[in-house]
Amino acid sequence: MNLENAKAQMRKGVLEFCILSILSRGDAYASDIIKKLKESELIVVEGTLYPLLSRQKNAGLLSYRWEESPQGPPRKYYALTDKGKEFLKELSSSWSELMDAVNSINNK
Amino acid sequence: MKKTLTINLAGLVFNIDEDAYYCLQDYLGKIKTYFSEEKEVNDIMHDIETRIAELLGEKITPTKQVVTLQDIEEIIKIMGEPHEFGDPDKEKKSTYYRTSTKRVYRDPDNRILGGVCGGLGAYMGVDPIIMRIIFIVIFFGFGAGLLIYLILWIIIPEAKTTAQKLEMRGEYVNVSNIGGFVREEFENLKNSFKGKKKS
Repeated sequence: MNLENAKAQMRKGVLEFCILSILSRGDAYASDIIKKLKESELIVVEGTLYPLLSRQKNAGLLSYRWEESPQGPPRKYYALTDKGKEFLKELSSSWSELMDAVNSINNK
Repeated sequence: MKKTLTINLAGLVFNIDEDAYYCLQDYLGKIKTYFSEEKEVNDIMHDIETRIAELLGEKITPTKQVVTLQDIEEIIKIMGEPHEFGDPDKEKKSTYYRTSTKRVYRDPDNRILGGVCGGLGAYMGVDPIIMRIIFIVIFFGFGAGLLIYLILWIIIPEAKTTAQKLEMRGEYVNVSNIGGFVREEFENLKNSFKGKKKS
């Protein structure tokens, strides 16, 4: 059991949750998502995000559409699918259950 | 004066210095290898290239039209090296690989005769000098040391490639590791040149 791996596993689960949560407040393209994740110091390098987005899209949680941008290449806007919304709801409730459980154990 | 190349990155055209081009090519290659087992590797690569194109676009102004090596280095810092992506499932695989690939080679960089003691030392994680002392003791004590040495010299292959040298040390073989190893070798070479110049 090594600490780095345990931390990485934790962060990965939370990251997936947060990406869905960001998208639930409105469609966004990768750079918007990155900005928010960086502000809350959840990711250090941007490369972390792309494989996660691609996996969530494959799992049918996200969909995307192309939009022209005023400058630069066209942007991929991601949106939650119905399945994604359902998934997020489940994650939210299990997240608060987990938080309660961890807190109750830590405070004993 | 520098030679520049023209590249198409996610549909945008950039003029890029030659050294910056090789740096970017090397970086994208590393990422592609990292994601090579992923189903959607092309999709991921395209997303990453789009983001790099966007970041590069911010660096281009009417008075600075060419992408420089410094630009690319800054972008790599933002995007991160593959090992910084923090994918725990991939880390697991690499440690599994590490334990399974340690092999005995003769070490051509650490040799007096055939590199047998150097290689055995690297394999067992002891200083080659200790291995040499053991062989000399066996030679004088039992007389068989030389014969054993010659047999080992014949049957142990020499570590010729960088991958083999990493295997000899028990480090796992991946692109970033080989890159680091080659850089190390290059530094050694440079230092030995400098040393010769002085003397």
